[in-house]
Amino acid sequence: MSTLIVIDQPPYGTWAGREALDMAFSLAAFDQSVSLLFTGAGVNWLRKSQKTDGIEQKSIEKNLSAAPIFGVKAMFAEASACARYGLTIENMLAGVAIAENSSNLLHQYSHTAFSG
Amino acid sequence: MAAIQLQNYTLVITGAPYSSQAPQTALAFARATLAKGHRVDRIFLYGDGVHLASALSSPPSDETHWPGEWAGFLKESGIPGVVCIASALRRGLVDDAEQKRHELVASNLLEPFIIAGLGEWVESTMTSSRIIYFHAGG
Amino acid sequence: MKPIATLHILNKAPEHSRSVECMRSLRAGDALLLTESAVLAIATTDVHDPNTTVYALKADVLARGLDDCASETHLVDFPAMVDLTAQAQNIISW
Repeated sequence: MSTLIVIDQPPYGTWAGREALDMAFSLAAFDQSVSLLFTGAGVNWLRKSQKTDGIEQKSIEKNLSAAPIFGVKAMFAEASACARYGLTIENMLAGVAIAENSSNLLHQYSHTAFSG
Repeated sequence: MAAIQLQNYTLVITGAPYSSQAPQTALAFARATLAKGHRVDRIFLYGDGVHLASALSSPPSDETHWPGEWAGFLKESGIPGVVCIASALRRGLVDDAEQKRHELVASNLLEPFIIAGLGEWVESTMTSSRIIYFHAGG
Repeated sequence: MKPIATLHILNKAPEHSRSVECMRSLRAGDALLLTESAVLAIATTDVHDPNTTVYALKADVLARGLDDCASETHLVDFPAMVDLTAQAQNIISW
């Protein structure tokens, strides 16, 4: 089974994205095929230089950068959402592929899950 | 009409009782699944869904007691009700072992729910032929 | 019953961003099952792709007083919802 975890909720204001990442890392830890798709406001997880001291949360940036090392197969960001939020190759974390049509991606996985 | 192949299901509930309809939809679905002869491998509570396993929920007497309804169903059916440990501890849901480990004043996990890791959900992705998620609506 | 490629189970109101995303992802051969707040789509004039069969959970339709609007939607009970999930090749819970 190949799993696509979809993160469509924005960073820090809700725990859903964090809990979606936990799902992805757990699958990877058990050597299961897993990829991440960031859509809608969820693409904001991918912005560089998140300084979270003032909101007393751990930045997720390091975890995301390490995703390939942990065995996450691919990270995709929806092109239209990146355009809407001003995310480009320059200000986005490395290792993310831009998906022109995210609904095509959904149909390529046997299991698609949101964290909430 | 061709006969429908029997499946084995995992139901993941992420919507909390009394803030979402997820526990009701999931319970009616679970009952219908068994009635149709399918197997339910496990129920997995994740995120806000862990509140369904609270032994301290006390809704008004004219409202359905969702944790109680679910606990009754799990006991009757023998289906494991697994609560994600990371989601649970953050939200103040603990069993006796976690109460001791974290030196907390009380435990509040409703029987027969058990606390375990996301590995249980990972196992479902490997062994269940169907995984259905019951998220909060909106 | 027709074979279903992907069964999309939607429980969000029509304005919810995930509803919009779900509608965009429907393909010929897929089926859409509206539950909970998603059944409110029946009350709107939003047009569904005729290549996708739309089902709605009867209990949720009745609860919201929408049974008069549901003429073009297949109303299903929970046993029929189970059948849909058992026969679909893939399922996305939006």
